[in-house]
Amino acid sequence: MKTHLVLAFGFLASLTAGLARDAASSVAREWERSLVTLDITRKQPDFQQPWSSRPQTLVKGGVVVGTRDILTTAFGLENRTLIRVQKGGRGEWFAVQVQWIDYPANLALLTSTNETFWKGLKPAALAAGAERDGNLQILRWRAGNLEVRRAEFNRFTVTNPSVTTAAHVLLEVNSEIDGTGWSELVVSGRKVAGLVFAQTGNLCQVLPAPFLRSILDAEKKGTFKGLGYFDFTWQQTENPETLRYLRLPRDRDGVVIIEVPKKPGMTPVLQPRDLILQVDGFDVDAEGDYVDPLYGHLMLENLSVRNKWAGDKVSLKIWREGRALDVVYTLPKVEDASRLVPESPYDKDPEYLVLGGLVFQPLTKDFLRSWGQDWERRAPFRLAYFRNEEPSPERKAVVVLSQVLPDAYNLGYQEVRHIVLESVNAQKIGSLRDVQSALARSEDGFHRLEFLKGETLQRIVLDARQLEAATQRVLQRYGIEKAAVVAPTS
Amino acid sequence: MLKKAFLLLTFVCSSCLLSGAEPERSVVQITTFSQQPAWDGPWRFDSVRRSGGSGFVVRGKKIMTNAHVVSWARQILIRRYQDPRPYVARVLFVGHDCDLALLEVENEEFFEGLEPLELGPMPKVRSTVVTYGYPAGGEQISYTRGVVSRIEMQTYAHIGNRAFLAVQTDAAINPGNSGGPVVQDDLAVGVAFQGIPGLENAGFCIPPPVIQHFLKDVADGRYEGFPMAGIRIVPLQNPAYRRFLKLADDHTGARVDSLLPIAATEQVLCPDDVLLQVGPYPIGSDGSIMFEGNRVFGSVAFQGAQQGESLPLKIWRDGRALEVSLPLSVYEGDRPLGNQYDVLPRYYVHAGLVFTPLSLDFMKTMGRDMRDLPNAEILYELYYRRAESPQTARPEPIVMASTLAHPVNANLKVAGHALVDRINGLRIEKLEDVVRAFESATNSHHVIEFLPDRALETLDREAAATAHAEILKTYGLPNDRRL
Repeated sequence: MKTHLVLAFGFLASLTAGLARDAASSVAREWERSLVTLDITRKQPDFQQPWSSRPQTLVKGGVVVGTRDILTTAFGLENRTLIRVQKGGRGEWFAVQVQWIDYPANLALLTSTNETFWKGLKPAALAAGAERDGNLQILRWRAGNLEVRRAEFNRFTVTNPSVTTAAHVLLEVNSEIDGTGWSELVVSGRKVAGLVFAQTGNLCQVLPAPFLRSILDAEKKGTFKGLGYFDFTWQQTENPETLRYLRLPRDRDGVVIIEVPKKPGMTPVLQPRDLILQVDGFDVDAEGDYVDPLYGHLMLENLSVRNKWAGDKVSLKIWREGRALDVVYTLPKVEDASRLVPESPYDKDPEYLVLGGLVFQPLTKDFLRSWGQDWERRAPFRLAYFRNEEPSPERKAVVVLSQVLPDAYNLGYQEVRHIVLESVNAQKIGSLRDVQSALARSEDGFHRLEFLKGETLQRIVLDARQLEAATQRVLQRYGIEKAAVVAPTS
Repeated sequence: MLKKAFLLLTFVCSSCLLSGAEPERSVVQITTFSQQPAWDGPWRFDSVRRSGGSGFVVRGKKIMTNAHVVSWARQILIRRYQDPRPYVARVLFVGHDCDLALLEVENEEFFEGLEPLELGPMPKVRSTVVTYGYPAGGEQISYTRGVVSRIEMQTYAHIGNRAFLAVQTDAAINPGNSGGPVVQDDLAVGVAFQGIPGLENAGFCIPPPVIQHFLKDVADGRYEGFPMAGIRIVPLQNPAYRRFLKLADDHTGARVDSLLPIAATEQVLCPDDVLLQVGPYPIGSDGSIMFEGNRVFGSVAFQGAQQGESLPLKIWRDGRALEVSLPLSVYEGDRPLGNQYDVLPRYYVHAGLVFTPLSLDFMKTMGRDMRDLPNAEILYELYYRRAESPQTARPEPIVMASTLAHPVNANLKVAGHALVDRINGLRIEKLEDVVRAFESATNSHHVIEFLPDRALETLDREAAATAHAEILKTYGLPNDRRL
């Protein structure tokens, strides 16, 4: 009896599974007409040898939206040389062009002028709501077949503002799929729920559809001015004594601002020890969360991108010196974030300057990342620590003597690397352009290079007259085309 | 038959005696029971550790060994060669910089029949030496023969931030060998002291010049330590730089690149001075000198001087040679950057918040996380700030090491390993400031601000005062401070 029962049960189970598979495959067939594969060739700069770059090919997903647009993440499109698209997971590749791209928002719209390509394709709709039901799936083309994987809703959260300037809401799902992060599609039934932009273990991070929609709509209307952000640092007030100390009545909540960046010529509307009580009418709790109508509890950082863009105004209710105050905060643009260690400019060749074999580079995040995956631990500590420092009038950016290409000219300096250039011929250095202009100041036939105090070497002296010849010799010997790639000063 | 064998044995022995060679009789086994303080809970001690080392009898009824064999000792026991009795010893002098110590034994009987080992000269590279000691893996004395591979400056791991001459041999030197003599022609020509992880067939010993410096130092009954010039010497081999300094393009003279903030040195030397000669030693353009037949780094030339002595230097400045005299003293400024001994860590506890000075010893309690971003601030403060921006540096940066949980402090988000900026508005320059800031407060709340971004924590002042005694009792703190 018992065996029979088990058998019967087993049969039922396989039957229902079969039905579900059929339903799923019909949905999948629909998606086959919207999902495309992108093949991107790009130059991957080598920041350890900034004059050289490797061609790199990568494959990622895209989805047809609107009239003849392909939506994908911007990730991997930097320094592109060629993009091609393929539909149906097989067959011909078509050339595509970038219509619009925004790196901080991590989004791009591509299109093709080839009529044949668009035949049979069907635009997908982005979900308007926050998809958190149990029917999420991740789709991508793989070896000519559409791969469909279940994804389990985990939570909506906000990217860590201490890691990225562009903090915004994201969807986290768990899935057995691996190797995602290349704009795979997350769907809920017939709607796009988001694009996967990163994966750690089983956890996929997804740009949620409503966030994508808000940017695309604004872009269409011409109101998108780039992502903004909150440039102040706040701290949770789980310690109620802090609220008592700041004389906030017991029935109210908020977080405390601890740092407001100084910007030349501007009086910030916020001050350290202000409490943020409300942002755009949303109450802020002691954890720094507000209740989003779409997503539920989210960190207040998301209110810097919730249908607001750089330059837009956000109204804040704050608590200062024992009373409530309404202030208007203007969102600065993410790209303008003044960081001592910035991202390298997008779609530009890395900057460097070769002087008689001495190689100078601006300190950027990409330079630090060239130490590999564990770069935060492996990159030279002092260089990595500049991320914790703010730019100042004396030091707007950091220029590093990154290596010395040996030549008779630089004998005695050949072991030197990764030290910070402070001045050349007594002129302070804040950019490679500064180095070039300071070289004109040599008077006695020598260049004096001074390095950051405490470095393993404080001073280098170079022969000014032989510099040009030495540089040419080094370029030739080491196969370097140009002595300098230097951005014009902004 | 039996008698014959015995005779042979005696014969062998008497031949040994004839040549006077029985260094093993002077080599002792040292067992140390030590207990070091817990730097993140400075009133506590780690559990008692038993460790073994070696030592040897030197003139004046003393035993020489390594400082690291006897540091933080609660009890030191010594056993003689082939003698079952343990003898209690105590530290007479210890030099943590050069990793040497002299012990004395309470019971005078200990030295009966023991001949001191005499110190020999610096062993020659390629000559053979024998290491005596009681390394791990057995109870009996062990001998290992090896060749002197090279003689160079090495960082002395015991203190961690000092480098002196060291002799490298391929004689196996293993844990337990520490403090034992390295012998050549029946003379001690080194004290075995350290290896380098990952480097096979390489053991290091402390050579005679360092040992003699230590013995001369303690002759007045007090150990001062090795004085330090505080100059960074860099090679001067670039032809343009030599021309810039109007110096001939030969192979002599190394450049002073920077100076530590030592007033006596700053009065005599400045950056871009070229060191031509230190004492009797001419300096090569790579910064090295010829020392007893070995090319070694020039700082060796400074290490012969004792505290308070001056060294004649020949330097090159503004296109001409000068003779100057450089007074030398022991530098204490970088003490927190090395391993510290003998002095228990300073601390102050208020309402369960534990404050202690920032030091390498404290950093070590953070383990592998040392380089993670939140801790980068601490690392920077310890190693870089003083050199880079002396105007913002504090004499004794203070960290909040931990919190002893209690309802009064349970809501604090910053729980430990945080660098303190201000307390109740007072900029914290040293531990005494913490005490003053808390004890002189009159506001309703204590306000503690941390670096780098001035994160804020607050405590109800009266509740903190009330909880203070209870917290000390709960967590078994004998005292709320050690200043």
